[in-house]
Amino acid sequence: MNLKTGVFRGRPAYLLAIFALLTALIFSLLWAVTIGSVDLAIGDVYRVIAHKLFGCFDSEVYGRGSMSDIVWFVRLPRLVLAMGVGAALALSGAVMQAIVKNPLADPYVLGISSGASLGATLAILLGIGSFLGEDYVGIVAFAGAFLVSMGVIALANVGGRANSVKLILAGTALSAICSAVSNFVLYVINSSSGALEAVVRWTMGSLAGANWESNLLMLLISVAATLFFWSQYRTLNLMLLGDESAVTLGTDLHHWRILYLLMASLLVGFSVYTAGIIGFVGLIIPHAARMLFGTDHKKLIPISALLGAIFLLWADVLCRVLLERKELPIGILTSMIGAPCFIYLMARKKYGFGGGD
Amino acid sequence: MKIETKAVEALFGENHILKGIDLNIEDHELVGIIGPNGSGKSTLLKCIYRVLKPSAGAVYLDGKALNAYPYKESAQRIAVVAQHNYYNFDFSVREVVLMGRAPHKRALERDTAEDVQIVAESLRTVGMDRFADRSFSTLSGGEQQRVILARALAQQTPCLILDEPTNHLDIKYQLQLMDLVRDLDRTVIAAVHDLNIAAMYCDRLYAMKDGRIVGQGRPNELLTAEFIQNIYEVEAQTMTDPSGNLHILFRPGI
Repeated sequence: MNLKTGVFRGRPAYLLAIFALLTALIFSLLWAVTIGSVDLAIGDVYRVIAHKLFGCFDSEVYGRGSMSDIVWFVRLPRLVLAMGVGAALALSGAVMQAIVKNPLADPYVLGISSGASLGATLAILLGIGSFLGEDYVGIVAFAGAFLVSMGVIALANVGGRANSVKLILAGTALSAICSAVSNFVLYVINSSSGALEAVVRWTMGSLAGANWESNLLMLLISVAATLFFWSQYRTLNLMLLGDESAVTLGTDLHHWRILYLLMASLLVGFSVYTAGIIGFVGLIIPHAARMLFGTDHKKLIPISALLGAIFLLWADVLCRVLLERKELPIGILTSMIGAPCFIYLMARKKYGFGGGD
Repeated sequence: MKIETKAVEALFGENHILKGIDLNIEDHELVGIIGPNGSGKSTLLKCIYRVLKPSAGAVYLDGKALNAYPYKESAQRIAVVAQHNYYNFDFSVREVVLMGRAPHKRALERDTAEDVQIVAESLRTVGMDRFADRSFSTLSGGEQQRVILARALAQQTPCLILDEPTNHLDIKYQLQLMDLVRDLDRTVIAAVHDLNIAAMYCDRLYAMKDGRIVGQGRPNELLTAEFIQNIYEVEAQTMTDPSGNLHILFRPGI
């Protein structure tokens, strides 16, 4: 069996896998919602959901009170958000790896992560953008992520058209500038009001701020982006062959690369806005999908999105139950799980990241 | 398909790589481009397959300027087997060849049974059908080259451009690949290193030196000992075997 091109090579196998993962995702959601620090009966949890969705059962018992609130306003929103953010990060990771033609890329390479951190730092410590309302930290972080990726595109286009190497170099340079400015502000501003802790907490990621408005939007964006990038599988495949081969196969990649990068940074920006910075998902999930099903984006895109959603959902459950009376920041957990997995993949001889020699 | 270049020039910074190239390639001709390293063969081919834009002059396909074709349409007319095919990611052989169908696809179009069949046929033509499920990167250089040829065949174009296609191949596969290309009966432009291969297969040759065409004609007319001495600066001797094939023998330096 040749793992390099995927274990399940035939078409029916990958369609079956998509179906299986969808089923797994739904079961994960139904299972995860019964887990939490407050002990609730499984039947009650489902009755609350059924009441909220379809209006059945007694609204005196299931429509109000702490049990109802825990299920409907605490557990479920963050699980839905975990699905949306997980899919978005995995998807943008797969796309970024194609854009820069480099298997080590992730959503936070190309400076997007540092841009978001800088935005958050400026917002929290200096109050920049506070006129934007109570969500201003997330909005400024989003703007930071987006502006930096625009800057990367502009910089990579200086002196000739952007290519994958110039994009990586521009991303690294802007990333360094952003972290330097963030650190400068952190160092100079002598804040005592817990703002430093807020910055740190924010850069570690958390799904605790989930609410129905933002998580449904996040989920919708993720589903739409998955469908869009799935429809773009041919161009994504051509990106891995490089500009010259792509031209001889009828596609000029230049404009597509910019379009995909903007869409991917929207995905990352919105994930950052709703959940802070969550590392490693965008790097590890596309690699896992590639190991199982090969590089073809026709399979890689939907499978990455589904795996990402399932992964982050369970990661969030772990965050809630691992420490007693305290929640572990999800960014810490994903790095703690993600990095060893990544090392395992690297050490496995059969999966050479396609690098070969 | 007819391919012409008119006064094509290429500049890289200060370097004038092509200094006005006029080619005229007729339908179904197999044309070889020969010349020493750095003479501009690859650059010229890249201008024709659209990876480079000429800094002056233009390329014409069937009388229409290449720039006037959308990329999809030029890729429906010209397929390319280039020198380097190093990929950072792993595709299966079948996936690589299936990409040859890309220029025939609209944005949301799915791969059809016909595409699958064309891919299988192309792989059979180059003798790589047994390798369809193998990972491209695990193949040898010669096998990879044949897969890329299969991809070019799957493009089903009237013209094929080969940029030193036999570089990584041992002699058996060099001959096999050129046999295959000759039997395709398409317009073929090939940059060829090996003068004996050029003499054996090409209908006509263009010889390049220092960014200029310095001669053209049928191999047995063009490739004289004197001409080879002129452009390659080596001593050579030519002979024609009983079946009428031209052979070029080289003499080592003293």
